[in-house]
Amino acid sequence: MVGTDNEHGRRRFLSRIITAVQVAIGGTLGVIFGGAAVGPALAGRNGAWLPASPIGDLPMDIPTPVVVGIPRRDGYTQVVEQRTVFLVRTGASDVRALDSTCTHLGCRVSWDSEYQELRCPCHGGVYDKTGAVKAGPPPAPLATLATRVDSGRVLVRL
Amino acid sequence: MKQRLAQLGDWIDNRTGVRALRRHLLDEPIPGGTGWWFTTGSVVLFLLGVQLASGVLLTFYYVPSPASAYDSVRHLMDHVAFGGVTRGLHYFGASFIVIASVIHMLRVVAFGSYKRPREVTWISGVLLLLVILAFALTGYLLPWDQKAYWATTVTINVARAGPLGEYVAGVLRGGDTLGALTLLRWYSAHVFLLPAALVTLVAAHLGLMRRHGISGPLRTSSEPAKPFYPYHALKDTLVVAAVFALLLALAVTIPAPLEALADPTDASYVPRPEWYFLSLFQMLKYFPGPLEPVATMVIPGLVVGGLLALPFLDRRPDRHPFKRPLVIASFAIVGAGISMLTYLGMKDSPQVSEEWSPLAIAGMEFARDERCVRCHRPGGIANILDETRMRKEPAWTLGHVRDPEMITIGLRPVPAGGMSDAQAQAILSFMREVRSGSAPTVTSGERSASIVLGRYCASCHMIDGAGASSAPDLSNVGARHDLAWLRRWVANPESVDPLASMPPFGDVLTPQEMDAVTNYLAGRR
Repeated sequence: MVGTDNEHGRRRFLSRIITAVQVAIGGTLGVIFGGAAVGPALAGRNGAWLPASPIGDLPMDIPTPVVVGIPRRDGYTQVVEQRTVFLVRTGASDVRALDSTCTHLGCRVSWDSEYQELRCPCHGGVYDKTGAVKAGPPPAPLATLATRVDSGRVLVRL
Repeated sequence: MKQRLAQLGDWIDNRTGVRALRRHLLDEPIPGGTGWWFTTGSVVLFLLGVQLASGVLLTFYYVPSPASAYDSVRHLMDHVAFGGVTRGLHYFGASFIVIASVIHMLRVVAFGSYKRPREVTWISGVLLLLVILAFALTGYLLPWDQKAYWATTVTINVARAGPLGEYVAGVLRGGDTLGALTLLRWYSAHVFLLPAALVTLVAAHLGLMRRHGISGPLRTSSEPAKPFYPYHALKDTLVVAAVFALLLALAVTIPAPLEALADPTDASYVPRPEWYFLSLFQMLKYFPGPLEPVATMVIPGLVVGGLLALPFLDRRPDRHPFKRPLVIASFAIVGAGISMLTYLGMKDSPQVSEEWSPLAIAGMEFARDERCVRCHRPGGIANILDETRMRKEPAWTLGHVRDPEMITIGLRPVPAGGMSDAQAQAILSFMREVRSGSAPTVTSGERSASIVLGRYCASCHMIDGAGASSAPDLSNVGARHDLAWLRRWVANPESVDPLASMPPFGDVLTPQEMDAVTNYLAGRR
C-alpha cells in the first residue's frame, strides 16, 4: 500500500515536472513568437515636419488636396508613403491641414467644390471645410494636422 | 506478373494496413433513402481541394511584396500557360465555396442534422465556415490592386471599432500603415495559418461525421443501408462534376478581375468588397458614429454565436422542419436580411465603367509626343508606355513627365517647354488605365474634346474622377447647362457671371476645338 502511494506520489511529481517544463517551453516560445508578431504594432512613429506646398499656391478658404511624401521604413524597405492632406488657407500665413482619411473606415475623402464639402465615397460620410462632420456615419471630425509656414512653404507634421 | 503484383500488394498491406483503411473509408453504411441533398458536403470538400491545388500553383509565381505582387499576378495571367485559368479557378472557386458551404449548412439545418449526438460536428462546421470567410478576406489583399488595398483598409478599420481596436488594427497591419508588412502577414495567414486550421477542422469534421454516421433522410426508409462506395459515391461524383464544369466554364470564359495598381492617394476610387461581404459593408451605412460597433461586432457576433449555440438551443429530437418553426423562421429572417442588404449594396455600387476617362484618352495622345517616344519606343532605352507599370509613386511620375531627364523630383525648376501640370496628370491617368485594359475606340470629336480637357480644363476641374478639384466637377455638367450656355461660358465666363474666376478660352481654342469640347460636355448628363 505504502509502495503504491509512493508510486502514485512519484508519478504525480513527475507529471508536474513535465507540465512545468512544457509550460516554460510554451511560455518562452509564446513570448518570442508573440513579440515577433505584434512587435511592429507597438513601435510608435515620431512625427516629422514635411513640406506640403508653397503657401502662395493655395487659394483662400478652399480645401486643396496636396500629396505629401512621408519617408518611412516599411518592413525591410525604405519607402516614401504618399498621403493626401487638404490644406485650407485661412489667412496671409495661416493654413489649416486636414487629413484626407475618413474617420469612419479609412477611405480617402475628396473635395466637392460644387457643394463645398468633403465627401467619402465608401459610406457617404460628409464633412465641411473645417473637417466637422455634416452627415453620414463618421464618428469624429477629420484629423487636423499641425502646420507651420517656413520661407513661404507650408510644412505639415505627419 | 499478376502474381508478383499481388505479392507486392500483400507486402504493402502487411506493412501499412492500407486495405483496411480503404475498406473503412469506402464501405461506410449509408442509410437507405439518403438522397442527393447529402452530396453538398462532398462538393465543399472538392472545392477546397481545387482551392488548395490552384493556390499552391499561384505561389509558384506570386511574390508577396508591394513592389512585385501586382506585376507577378499580371505576369501569371498574361504570360504563364494556363495561368489565367488557374487564377480564375482560385478566384471563382472562392465564391463557389462560400455558396456551397452555405447550401451545405442550410441542408444540415433543414434536415436537423445538427442535433444530438452531432453537436460538435455542427460546431466544427461553423468554425470551418468562419475559416473559409477568413481565407476570402486575406486573399483579397494579395494582388495589391485598388480593390485589394481599399477593401483591406476598410476591413482593418472595422477591427478598430472593437475592444483594443487600435492595437488589433496595428497587429493586422504589422505597423501603423498598410504596407509591405501587412501584405506579408496576410500572405502568411492565407498560405500557412489558415490552411493549417482548415485541414485540422476538415479532419475533425470528417472524423466526427464517420463517428456518428450521416443523419440520413428525415423518415426512416424501408430500403436497407448500402455501402458508400459505389452507391452514394456515384451521386457525389456526378454533382461534383457538374459544379466543376460550371467553375471551369467561368474560369475559362471570364478573366479573374485585376484592377489598377493600388494607389493610396487615389480619392476617386470607390471601394466595394466581394459580393459575399457586401451585406456587412452595406450594414455599416445604417449604424453611424457610436453605433458602428453594432454593425461590426454585435450583429455578426450574435449571428455566429447563435449558429454555434443552435444544437443547444434546439434540443428536442424532432428533425422535420415543420416541427421546428422557430429555427426555420430564424434562418429565413437572417437569410432574407443578408439577401436584402446584399441587394441594396449591389444597387448602391457604382457601375465600373469600361470606358476610359477623357483625361486618359488625352494622356494617350500626349504620350505620343516626341519627348516621350524618343525613349519609350520599341527598341528604345525604356519600355513602351503601354507596357510600363508605374513602379514609382504618382508624384515621381508627374515630375518625370514634366522633366524627363530629372531623376529626383524637385531638384531643379522644370525647364521651359516641359509639359504642363494638366498634361502630366493626363499621362498619369493614361498610365493607370492602360494597365487595366486596351485603349477604347473614340470618335474624332471625343478625341479633340479629350485633348482640350486634358490640356486646359483638368488643372482645375475634375471629370470621371481624374483631374483637380478646385472648380466644379464636369462629369455631369450637361445635366446642369445646355450647349448654348456652355459655349458662352467657355468663350468668356465673365459674359455669364461678372464674378467668374475662370479665364476666357474664346481666343485660345480653335472653332473646331470649341465645338468639340462644348458638344462633348453638353452630352455629359
